[in-house]
Parts: sequence; C-alpha cells; structure tokens
Amino acid sequence: MNSSAPRPPTHFNDRRWACAIAWLIPCVICLSGCDVPIDAFEPNRLFAKRLELNERVELEQVRDDVQVILEELFGTPDSPRWPDFLTNDSAVKHLVSIERLQRAAGAVRSDEAGVHFGLYREHCILCHGIAGNGLGATSRLLNPYPRDFRLGKFKFKSTPIGSRPTRDDLARTLADGITGTSMPAFRLLTEEDLQALIDYVIYLSIRGEVERNLLLRATFDLDWDDDERLIDFSVRESDAEQFQTQWQEIVAIVSKVANNWGAANVAPLLNISRPTNLPIVGDEIQNTEEQQRLAESVVRGRTLFQGKVANCASCHGMAGAGDGVVNDYDDWTKDWTSNAGLDPSDKLQLKPMLELGALKPRHIQPRNLQRGIYRGGSRPEDLYLRIVRGIEGTPMPAAPMQPENPLGLSENDVWDLVNFLLNLPNQSHDADTVQGGSPS
Amino acid sequence: MSAKNSPKIATFTSRPYNRAVHALAVILTVAVFPLIWVGGLVTTYDAGMAVPDWPGTYGWNMFAYPASTWLFGPFDLLVEHSHRLLGSLAGFLSIGLVIAAFRYDPRTWFHWWCVGVLVAVIAQGALGGARVVLDQRTFAMIHGCTGPLFFAIATATAVMSSRWWLSDVAQAVKGRPKLAWLASILVVGSYGQLILGAQLRHVTAAISHTTFMMFVHSHLTLAGLVMLLALCLAGFATFSREISERISRPAGLLAVIVLLQIGLGIGTWIVNYALPWSDANATVAGYTILSKGYWESLIVTAHMATGSLIISLATVVALRAWRVRLLIQ
Repeated sequence: MNSSAPRPPTHFNDRRWACAIAWLIPCVICLSGCDVPIDAFEPNRLFAKRLELNERVELEQVRDDVQVILEELFGTPDSPRWPDFLTNDSAVKHLVSIERLQRAAGAVRSDEAGVHFGLYREHCILCHGIAGNGLGATSRLLNPYPRDFRLGKFKFKSTPIGSRPTRDDLARTLADGITGTSMPAFRLLTEEDLQALIDYVIYLSIRGEVERNLLLRATFDLDWDDDERLIDFSVRESDAEQFQTQWQEIVAIVSKVANNWGAANVAPLLNISRPTNLPIVGDEIQNTEEQQRLAESVVRGRTLFQGKVANCASCHGMAGAGDGVVNDYDDWTKDWTSNAGLDPSDKLQLKPMLELGALKPRHIQPRNLQRGIYRGGSRPEDLYLRIVRGIEGTPMPAAPMQPENPLGLSENDVWDLVNFLLNLPNQSHDADTVQGGSPS
Repeated sequence: MSAKNSPKIATFTSRPYNRAVHALAVILTVAVFPLIWVGGLVTTYDAGMAVPDWPGTYGWNMFAYPASTWLFGPFDLLVEHSHRLLGSLAGFLSIGLVIAAFRYDPRTWFHWWCVGVLVAVIAQGALGGARVVLDQRTFAMIHGCTGPLFFAIATATAVMSSRWWLSDVAQAVKGRPKLAWLASILVVGSYGQLILGAQLRHVTAAISHTTFMMFVHSHLTLAGLVMLLALCLAGFATFSREISERISRPAGLLAVIVLLQIGLGIGTWIVNYALPWSDANATVAGYTILSKGYWESLIVTAHMATGSLIISLATVVALRAWRVRLLIQ
C-alpha cells in the first residue's frame, strides 16, 4: 500500500466493523440457547418408535398417557417423587430415600456449610442426559457412549447377568471411575454425595424401566378396538373402581421393576476368596517354589484362555490383543436397531431413529488385554468378577462355572486365568510365542 | 530503530504523560487477571450458587463477611466470595482511574473512555449478580464472555495512557499497514474463539448433542485459524526490521501463548471427556479422569484464563500497530 497516496476516510469502514462485532457477540450468545428450565424428563421416543415399527401401531395417545403416569409416580427433575407403595414395601424400602433423591435433583447450589445440592446436574447430566438416557449434550463425542440407565443394565457389577447391580457396585464405579473412558472417578465427593447420586441413578433406572414396561403393556395387552387406555385420570372420581383397577396394574409393574433391584441388593454376595496355595501376580513371592507355582498357574491360564471352555481367544485374540473376530453391538444399540428390525450398519434404515436423537451405532471392541488396562477395575478380584459374571449388555459372557456346569471352570481355573491376564502386559506379545513364561 | 534513520517521522505533537493515570490503568489490568482466574474456578467447581444472595453474602455486607468463614469455610464459598471481592477491587480501581483521568489527562475522549471502563465494570458486576439472583447459568456464560472483554478494555486503557502512546512514537517508521489489520482480526478471532469456548464450558442439559458437536467443531476450526493468524503476526512482526519492538515483542509472546493454549485445550478435553480414541495411546487409555481433581481443575481454568490473556495481548499489538499506522498516515 502506498502510504503517500491520498486515502479515503476509514471511519465508515471502522464503524461498520464495530457494528458487525457488536451484533455478532450477542447473536452467538443467543444462538447458544437460553437456560431452559428442566421441567420434565424426556420421553423414551426410541423405544416407542421401536414398538411402532415392530407392531405397526400408532402410540401417540399411549405416549402421552405414559408421561402422565410417570410424572404421577416419579415427579419431575426438579421435584422427584418416590411412590409411597415402594416406601412401605419391606423388600425395597431401603433402596431409595426421598431425602437423598431431593439432594441429587434440581438445580446446582451449595450452602454455607458446603453441602451440595443438584448433584446429578453438577456431575452427570451433560453425558447421561436428564432422564438418564445416555443422550446428554456431550454424548455424541464420547467413546464409549454414556450409559443409558433405563434398560436396568449395568456393565460392571458383582451380580449375575440379568440381575440389577448392588448399591456397592454402583458406588465402586462412581468412586473409581472407568479408566480410559469419559466416566470420571468421583472419589473426592463426600460419602453422602455419592449415596445421593446412587439413589438418583437407581431412581432414573427404575423410572426408565417402568416407562418401557408401560409402553409394552399398552402395545400388547390393551384392547385397542375398545379404546382401552393404561389409565384415565379423568375418571379418578367418577369411576373410582375402574381407576383403581388400572392403577393397581401400574403398581404391579412398578413393584416388579423395583423388586428386581431389591432382590439384587439382598441376595448373598459372591464370595471371592483368593486361593491359599496359589500366589497371585502382584503378591510378594517368598521363594522359588512359589515362583514356580505362579509360573505354572500362568501357563494353565494361557491354556484356558485359548481353550474352548472359557473361549476368551475368540474375541480377545490368541495373544489377548483384542483382535478376535467381533462384529457385534452392545445391548443399548441393539435395543433400537436390530430389536426394531433395523440393520445397525444401514444408515438409511436408521434415519428415523437418528432423527429422534439416537447415536450412530458403533461396533463393540474387545479389550486389548496386553495393555493391562481394565475398565471394570484392575484388582485381581475385579478380573475374577469379570470372568465369572461377564459384562452385562456386551458380548462378554459369564464363564460356565462348576458345579452348575460340570464341564465349566473351577475357582482355581479362574484364578489361573486371572494370573495369565495380569501377567500378559509383561509377556512377549507375539501370538505364536505367548507361552506363559515367568511372571515378572 | 532511531527516528534519525527513519524515512518517515510522525508529526503528532507530544501529549503530557501522567504516571498516576497510567499506573492506575496498569494496576487495574493486573488486578483483572486474577479476577478472571478466580471466576474460572467458580465455574470449574460449580460454585456460582455457593452464595445464594447478592450483593450481600449470606445476609452480610459483602465487605463485612467474617474472614474466618470466607477463608476457612467450604472451598466453593472461598472462590465465590473471593471473586466478588476481587470484582469490587476492580470497581474501586476503575473509580480511581476516572478521577485521575479527569484530573490529570487533558484528552477529553479519554475521560469518557475511562467513564466507559467504570460503566463496563459495573455492568459486569450486575451480570454476575443477575446470575445469582435469577439462578440462570446463561447469565454465567454471558458474564464469563464479557469478563475477558473487560480485561481487554483495561489493557487498552493501559496502552493508551502509556508514555509510548503519548509520545511522538519516534519509532514509527514505514510499518506494515497489514499488520494492524492482522492484529485486529486476531482480536476478533480470539474473542469469537472465547465465546465458542464458553458455549462448551457453560453447556447446559437444554442443548442437544448435535448442537454441542457443532460448537466443538467450530471451536477446533477457529483454534486452527487463530493459531495461524498468531504465527503470521509474529512472523511479520519479528522478521521485519521496520517494525518496532513495542509491537514485535508482544506479537512473539502472543504466538507462544497461543501455542500453549492449544496444548491446554487438548488437556482440557482429556481431563473432561478423555480422548475419543483412547485405545490408540496406552497413556491416555490408562488415565482415569478425577472429577474436580487438582490438576484437572487447574488445566481447565488455565485454558479459560489463557484465552483472556490472548485477547488482551492481541489488543496490545493491534492498538500499537494502529497507532503507528495512523501516525504514519
């Protein structure tokens, strides 16, 4: 630019720039969305859509009825309720406390004593969503996707597949987090905060399962030709008998769902005791004899790992590198894809579900065990549990165990497998040369 | 470079420089930076509602609140109340600046600029108050966006009251006309980047995962552009002999801080959400995020504060570059 040449005044241009910037800033802020009050849980649109696709029905009225019922039973995100009949039920009355629920719900705040309220919104909502559907604001960018609590399925637990987790299982996941994922460890929270969050997770899970069961009942059990409804609140006074009949059906559904949780929390815990005559990798080795026994255990573990009974290698690969052949999805993905008759790999088929907010399906990946990083915990007891209990909602099954299955694994077999796994990061990772070797 | 060797020398008349005005502007700027840090901690620890009333603190006059509870009570209360006190300090310094400007600085426009600084700090405090009184996180986000703007305004005040600004700028030589534009675009770009960052930091459950992803992608794209602009600016300013050190030094520092900010941004994502492809790297795969952990909170808050620092430094470079350019013309 020639500085000596006459230049037009720049004031106009400068002013135009200033105006543009002055407009841009509030526009971006406004576009970001206001602080919309969270006055209701999101309905389970995906499950309703699945039923509509499977059964070729229109559930519009049912969906509305279900939301009214759920609000009557469980309240709103700001003002949660816990059904009275559950409080009076001895099997589940200790499951959730309304005081703890109220601490976990609502807006984030704390008082002069440092007690926090609105814990779910403070710590969980951005990933797990308002209704615990795993569709929070950040969910699309996370891998693995955040858990959807509404199926009642939790991966890392001490109870058998098909059972609900115990409060201690949830407490362990909350306190320790899940390594390598977006799930943080909340061990800096107070015990009261953790317990309140556990209550809220159970509450969301039960609420979500009840919603699914109500939709199922409406789809399969109601007489559509007779305009039968789950419940009609308008006849509460005028036809109390009919209302009570309908209400008792709902109470039965809720009680059944809650009792599943109650049963898991009162059932005897799996007894995990380390064998007295077998050292575990990480133990202090006293002499060469123990060293020899440990080495033999690792070799036995390798044989079991690659064998047909435990069948670990089919997914995790012969060397445990997670390179076995798996072309599967987890249950949370199957719930709205293959269970709805949709091919998870066909984007066109999935379009109506994706438009309802579903997250793009991802293949489930078997863990690379050579890394020595285990999402369900890295203590020997955690690995024991993963083998014996499997991982709910994934292709990782529970190992067949003796004596229920005479051809299954014994407890010592499981500890051999644990030793093999714990020693795997220290071994040569050539599949052909994985021979157990001397434990480091 | 000396004025003697300069092919063009500015013809502006020197204006009186006043140490008090400049010192107050500099102190205000320096005081705002920790204010922004502590404000960042308020968001990091979700402590925005740790004190439910405003302008008082649990019914006390803000300045009379017992120091024992403030300093040795809950951490949330410490950061929120400290943020309020630091904000008040910025307010008092702004009042002092207005008085000093009217008394000692002959520039009428500068008087009104300083009044603008005072109005801005009052407005910023009111926004913070609205966040508390209305319990609206959107106000927290706007408050978080306008805070760095005030930091840039305070920085600009310090620049415009400096001896260098008020002298004939003997260093002003040919200059590079594009430099001023480049620096200005960087100010706007880095501020836009901060606004996008605020969308991610103050995200609420009300937005969809699609919207959040859009903000993430925009933030990443603009980060690349800001980095490119900062490196170009530093390259132009450093390798051109004709450019004053008053411009080239902050421009070089700016590029270094932008690179640091990129690292902090990656760190912020990891400590908040972990990398989406964590299995690709053993270290990342073995990392467990600790909610509200010390390092986690430090990295996230540092990323926010460094964003403000970038805007402030870019403002310094832009103002000085424009000053030189206008003097030449």
